[in-house]
Amino acid sequence: MATRELHVVGKSLPRFDAPGKVTGTAVYAADFALPGMLVGKVYRSTQAHARIVRLDVGRARALPGVRAVISAADVPEVRYGGGLKDETVFAAGKVRYVGQPVAAVAATTSEAAEAALAAIEAVYEPLPAVLDLEAALAPGAPLVHEEWQSYTAIPILHRDGNVCNRARIVVGDIERGFEEAHRIFEHRFRTSMVHQGYTEPRAAVAQWDSSGTVTVWSNTQLPFEVQNTLAEILQTPPSKIRVVVPGIGGGFGGKLRVGVEHFAAFLARKTGRAVKVITTSEEELTAAYPRQGTVVELKTGVTNDGRIVAKEGRIWFDTGAFAGSGPGVASVATLVLAGPYKIPNLRLEGFAVYTNKTNCGSFRAPSGPQANFAVESQMDIIADALGLDPLELRLRNIVREGDEGPTGQVLNAVGLEECLRKAAAAIGWSDRRPGKWRGKGLACGWWTTTGGSSGVYVKINPDGTVALNTGAAEIGTAALTGAAQVLAEELTVDLADISVVSADTFSTPFDFGAQGSRTAFAVGNACRAAVADLKPRIFLLAAAQLGVEAEACALADKHVVADGKRISLADLARLSQQTGGGLIAQGTFIAPPTAYDAKRVEGHVYPAFHSPSFHAHAVDLSVDAETGEVTLHKYVVAQDVGFAMNPTYIEGQIEGGVAQGLGQALSEEIVYEGGRVVNANLTDYKMPTTLDMPRVDTILVQHPSLVGPYGAKGVGEPPNIEPPAAVANGVASATGLRVTVLPITAERIALGLRDAG
Amino acid sequence: MSKVAVELCINGERHEVLTEPHRTLLEVLRVDLGLTGTKENCLEAECGVCTVLLDGRAVNSCIVLAVQCRGREVLTIEGVARDGVLHPIQQAFIDHGAVQCGYCIPGMILSAKAFLEECPGAAEADVREVLAGNLCRCTGYQKIADAVVAAGRAVAAGG
Repeated sequence: MATRELHVVGKSLPRFDAPGKVTGTAVYAADFALPGMLVGKVYRSTQAHARIVRLDVGRARALPGVRAVISAADVPEVRYGGGLKDETVFAAGKVRYVGQPVAAVAATTSEAAEAALAAIEAVYEPLPAVLDLEAALAPGAPLVHEEWQSYTAIPILHRDGNVCNRARIVVGDIERGFEEAHRIFEHRFRTSMVHQGYTEPRAAVAQWDSSGTVTVWSNTQLPFEVQNTLAEILQTPPSKIRVVVPGIGGGFGGKLRVGVEHFAAFLARKTGRAVKVITTSEEELTAAYPRQGTVVELKTGVTNDGRIVAKEGRIWFDTGAFAGSGPGVASVATLVLAGPYKIPNLRLEGFAVYTNKTNCGSFRAPSGPQANFAVESQMDIIADALGLDPLELRLRNIVREGDEGPTGQVLNAVGLEECLRKAAAAIGWSDRRPGKWRGKGLACGWWTTTGGSSGVYVKINPDGTVALNTGAAEIGTAALTGAAQVLAEELTVDLADISVVSADTFSTPFDFGAQGSRTAFAVGNACRAAVADLKPRIFLLAAAQLGVEAEACALADKHVVADGKRISLADLARLSQQTGGGLIAQGTFIAPPTAYDAKRVEGHVYPAFHSPSFHAHAVDLSVDAETGEVTLHKYVVAQDVGFAMNPTYIEGQIEGGVAQGLGQALSEEIVYEGGRVVNANLTDYKMPTTLDMPRVDTILVQHPSLVGPYGAKGVGEPPNIEPPAAVANGVASATGLRVTVLPITAERIALGLRDAG
Repeated sequence: MSKVAVELCINGERHEVLTEPHRTLLEVLRVDLGLTGTKENCLEAECGVCTVLLDGRAVNSCIVLAVQCRGREVLTIEGVARDGVLHPIQQAFIDHGAVQCGYCIPGMILSAKAFLEECPGAAEADVREVLAGNLCRCTGYQKIADAVVAAGRAVAAGG
């Protein structure tokens, strides 16, 4: 690969969808409209945990402009979900969180729909609620799901009452490990529930046709999963469900699962009209799929020279009233708790715990920021206690080429040491406390490139341009621009020659979806497979035209060349259309399984990190001694991306991921009081603005993966992982105060400094 | 509620709409006129995705009533490129890789346009101040700020 000159991949070319986005012509799901469509809205629970004594929708149904009001009585009795089927479309019998859907209405105008919501009457009998992890885990705690044992679940899950999964990694002998340790450190951390904060609300338009097929235009990241979930919920075959993604205004994991699509589909079926449902900010912050709040306990044993010999860790996820992504996230978390470190004795557990709050889901690097915050905060605490430089402590323990991961996977393309050294150099680490109330923080981590399969169709048009047809959705990351760059490179055409059709479950091939930092990686590889499929046929056709052997043919500059002769791809495509049905190909890819030691895990749905990436973050910050306000001067990310497919957009992923991470570090929190969210608006839910963000210096480290196209690794999620830990360590360096709770608000710092005297 | 006739001037074109007086400019633009380049999100002037220019000033169209726009000039993202040629700010957003999901971008471009017409050679700190009301969740703002500063320089140089 190194010997070949690259023309398209590795270049910072503009994304193919940019012109539409800067001129306002790009259509997002929130923009999508059909003539005469109705407005759908959702009636939600006002109680955290209560029996539904009475639900009266009669008055609402009779209002002018109201075309349908539906509740549990009007939909099939189905429990759905990922690995654990515990969710229903509408609450039936009882409600389990404030914001849970109880009914939905469709009306001719937004005002009529609002009036219908106001006319629905629900009478509740409150039940004892579990509003945080401690309450849910207490002996004799009320059960969020009394009937949990009757639910369908994948057998791998370990469930017990309010715990909907316990995942575990056990390596070596933890007791002996602690006996070998000279020092043992025990700490507890806590993180808050946070929202993905996409700027486009979740939206769906549904319409049924006379053949009994429903088309749903939605901003889901996973059209094929939504198709299957809708099939289950609607009791309709998947072949009758078409999910189309017009465009997505950000997702970050919050638009993976069915969100409003099912309400639109049911209301459209009931009314015989197209129905659009779009969420409000209040609904987003009270009833979406945010990141779980957590409690983390770590017990780490080290030798006096700073070798970690044993680590025991537990992380509890407050997953809300339904499992959502919780069981999987609790699994992934154990790999993050291990950290990118060589530790011979491990006992790590992740628990997904039901509470009477909104159903949590996946948010960019699910579990990453919470677990990494604990691990990397504790690394600095240990370094300080041992009198070691935190960088040096990390360098003594990090994984390197050929080492084993926590579950026995063999690690390759490990660029972590380079990331740490480069990030430290760029932040000026040798001068860690450059002034009073000023400090620098460092954190590192590792992450996966999610597997799953991707398929593409590729067609060479008679003008020599190329159509790429993929089931993946472009959620903003430019991942499909990256995949198109791979296709262009392989076919020796320009990026501008590629047109992309995507994310339509009827016309595009299957894709596992825009999740887990996988799209450019997997779709890019599927493009390579398609070209490998197409090339022999192109060469046969060309060979006949040029009078050469097919084996002598090669692609170069939009032509097939052989023995000094050449013929254009355009000519070949035209010829093939006249004689052989055109130049079309399919390509599929699935990441090969990563080998691991199954004896080390239980209850685990994600036992190894595929084509793992490694990263180090460093921050330089000041703390106001009186107010506790943190000012960020500079932020550095050194990330091993394997191969930088499009450096500009990788920088963009890193800068944006850091911004979200800094929000979680410093200001973002969905605040519950008595089971109710008290800051469900974008003023009180504080996401970073232009004025909160420092400049981010990005250093791209490239240790090529064995699997990804041109050596690429997943890029999108990792930059979201380390900011909370880096900031916590920077604050500790600046003030001496160790904050173990996220977010690290000015208030927490100021109170901490006051208490420390 | 009875409807009123409102004559609006949008992107230099006259439109007559019949609407209830409580409806916002945003709703009329998106629903009545199909101009969906102006985005909707929070509907309470917290996020800035609905930013348009009203007589040259950036406003959140989600809290402006359509009837308040009688006799005034409204510029939406659809009117920023002229004759198929991108405005220098639009081009700068593409050139600097400032576009990701793109949902905040129309509002960003209009906020930037209003500002650069006043202060073409603005420094990054000023640009960040002006764009503080436009939330973006994808980019971390760096490439957006770079794009606006560069576009401002181009405008100042008469480009």
